[in-house]
Amino acid sequence: MVKSKTIITANQHALIRLPSEGLKIVELRSGGTISLGKFGSFDVDAILGYAFGQSFEILDRSNVKPVKSLAPGLEDGEGAEEVAEAEPETEGELSKADLTSFFSTNAENNQQIIDIGSKVQSLTNQEIDELKKSGASSNIGQQIIEKIIAGHGGFDKKTIFSQQKYLRRKQQKFLRRFTVEYIGSSQLLQYYIEKDLPRVLDLSEETLGLILNYGNVRPGGKYLLVDETGGVILYAMMERMNGEGTIVLAHENEHPNHIALRYSDYPEELINQMVKPINWLQFLEPENEKIDLEILSQEEIDALKPTKQVQYEKRLKRSQDINSVIDMVQAGNFDGFISVSTLHLPSLLPEVLPAIGGSRPIVLYSQFKELLLETQHSLSNDKRVLAPSIFETRVRPYQTIIGRLHPMMTMRGFGGYVLWGTRVLPQENITAVGRGVSKKKKEESVGVESETEKPKEEGKQEVEN
Amino acid sequence: MSFFKFKDYIEEGDLVLAFISRGTIKPITVTKGALLNTRYGHYEHDKMIGLKYGEQMGGEKGYGFIHLLHPTPEMWTLSLPHRTQIVYTPDSSYIMQRLGVTSGSRIIEAGTGSASFSHSFARAIGLDGRLFTYEFHEPRYLEAKKELEGHGLVNTHITHRDVCNDGFEIEVPANFGTEVNGDVVFLDLPSPWTAIPHLPKVISKVRQVGICCFSPCIEQVAKTVEALQQNGWTNIEMVEVAGRRWEARKDMVRDIKDVVKRLKDIQSRKNQGIENRRHAKVIGEKRDHSEVLPEPSESSKVQNTGKGFNPFGKGIRIREGDEQFQWRNVTKIETEVKSHTSYLTFAYMLPERVE
Repeated sequence: MVKSKTIITANQHALIRLPSEGLKIVELRSGGTISLGKFGSFDVDAILGYAFGQSFEILDRSNVKPVKSLAPGLEDGEGAEEVAEAEPETEGELSKADLTSFFSTNAENNQQIIDIGSKVQSLTNQEIDELKKSGASSNIGQQIIEKIIAGHGGFDKKTIFSQQKYLRRKQQKFLRRFTVEYIGSSQLLQYYIEKDLPRVLDLSEETLGLILNYGNVRPGGKYLLVDETGGVILYAMMERMNGEGTIVLAHENEHPNHIALRYSDYPEELINQMVKPINWLQFLEPENEKIDLEILSQEEIDALKPTKQVQYEKRLKRSQDINSVIDMVQAGNFDGFISVSTLHLPSLLPEVLPAIGGSRPIVLYSQFKELLLETQHSLSNDKRVLAPSIFETRVRPYQTIIGRLHPMMTMRGFGGYVLWGTRVLPQENITAVGRGVSKKKKEESVGVESETEKPKEEGKQEVEN
Repeated sequence: MSFFKFKDYIEEGDLVLAFISRGTIKPITVTKGALLNTRYGHYEHDKMIGLKYGEQMGGEKGYGFIHLLHPTPEMWTLSLPHRTQIVYTPDSSYIMQRLGVTSGSRIIEAGTGSASFSHSFARAIGLDGRLFTYEFHEPRYLEAKKELEGHGLVNTHITHRDVCNDGFEIEVPANFGTEVNGDVVFLDLPSPWTAIPHLPKVISKVRQVGICCFSPCIEQVAKTVEALQQNGWTNIEMVEVAGRRWEARKDMVRDIKDVVKRLKDIQSRKNQGIENRRHAKVIGEKRDHSEVLPEPSESSKVQNTGKGFNPFGKGIRIREGDEQFQWRNVTKIETEVKSHTSYLTFAYMLPERVE
């Protein structure tokens, strides 16, 4: 079975996005039911065949109907003026007319708002709970919201903007809607950012994109990878490579951790074909780690007990796997080195660089700029990496509502840093401009040979000894 | 040379990016008999043939060097001839990541501009993907066409077209499918809102389609968001990308104790000077410098400047990181930061219904 990236398909994982901005990864088992906690539950079969990205609303008895987006009406910033404009209404949905009536009275500013805490709401939590229990029907969420607004003593004293915000918050809490998305590498990363940010070492979506582009990741490449995120980088690379090429995954344990691949729905053969694990002992001391298995002839194998035969086959497979990945590392000429790890890079790099082909990218991620700084300084005398630099990329989201466009008030402060350089092949007996030439030429050059106060980035013409 | 696969040795006719210095990368087509002139020496193309990609090459006259790099979209972006403002890697890589551009994607790009992003798209979508790029300015179109062909981007089709007025529909080349059928749209146009209504005819009807509109002005964003809403796009969000480059530097550690020690040294030398002068007056002899200046101690080269205790190298030029001094590692942001490239407005379109 080939997984679908475009259509919601049975027996495949998917990301569920909830109005609360929560994320869930589920496996869509045909005939199964998926529970979304307080948002209700739905039958898997009811969502199959729609395109990934589709939003649904939960109806009675785990049925669903497709809806345009997670939050109705206001989702894409339609202001109250436009609310009256017709969009075909679907039954049970919070209609534009409803919204208009909510917003019919409002204040110019917040002058009339007096903070009296929870007393402003006449509806009690108990009453809300009873309402929730009373109906499994689809529009119970909207009914609750309507009641809450009706019971809000100060709603009409809010400005229209603040009313809309209030409504949106209530929708996030009570609407029984969800969106089904394909688990691309961005979705997977978002999921981990929500659930377990330290696992992905503070990596942001924009930094992941930068790593993949600087790493020149593409179908057919042969990459050397260190991935301490449990396979999120591996997942992203495999996605971009689309089944073509090889990733040698260097790791520090007996077995590599790429648990994130369990959401990939890639067949095991494909993973085995693309991903070649090697631990650092095997990488750094290959001569001791190659497995020299005595190869048996068919007659000898036949002569073994069945249990021994299985054992032999296993050992044979293991030795072949290990020997072939060691051979691959010894042959070198990798198309790039990508590291997303907490290893000490100044000591790691000299061991790895010989295996990387000429003109190929070196891309090192760290959540701390200081570690990359130390690494870059350690490279200043290593002529094998050209123009290493530390890059940072940060995306700033905006509240995207016409007339009220502004950057969001808060955003998560994370994302990490990337050191990008190019593996080059230094030559001996190369003289930089500025060395061994006339004084005039020396003055022309901006080489490090002259004593400048700012050496490194102007010191293009450094001497390789 | 190819943007789809690395090769190891330079051959005649290859596009090589000659890395001369940071900020100076010169694209050259290796041509027999040709010469590359730089401020760091001259380089014969003939001698490049047969060298490895990534190799350092010495200059003709025995000094200077360059590195011969294999083209990648990221290096090309740093070296290409600008025809327009270009989309830099922090923006382009984020757009591709967010819109899920992978091998096999079908991209619609307008306008082509300097074709910097086109190279990046073409690399990522691989030989299974297709890039349809549109440029309305004829000379730019012709240059870009020549360049894309020269670079072997066989998955890319460029059209000379004003998409705002005339839409995106084209006669699709034989190996590009029966129609454009795009699943990712990138609009880098002065008025994307005029192009958005033309999109339904050329985007996929069976899958979710993502769009990114790239506009420098906030007023453009407002119009774009409006057009996206009116044309049925959802989940509209605008963001800004801030890309920064940090330089690794060294900063001298200047201990206050050394400051005090130096002040004391100055003071004592001054006193000694007064003493000597008085002495010289009395005796009426010529000052003898060898007596005045105490021999600097052997132990500290730092102080060996002929001017007494000088722990921070005052008055002399010091190379950053000079081992005679103490340094700490620091980062410094590049001198000029790209504080604004453009606003990126993302949105998605779902097919009516897939059954």
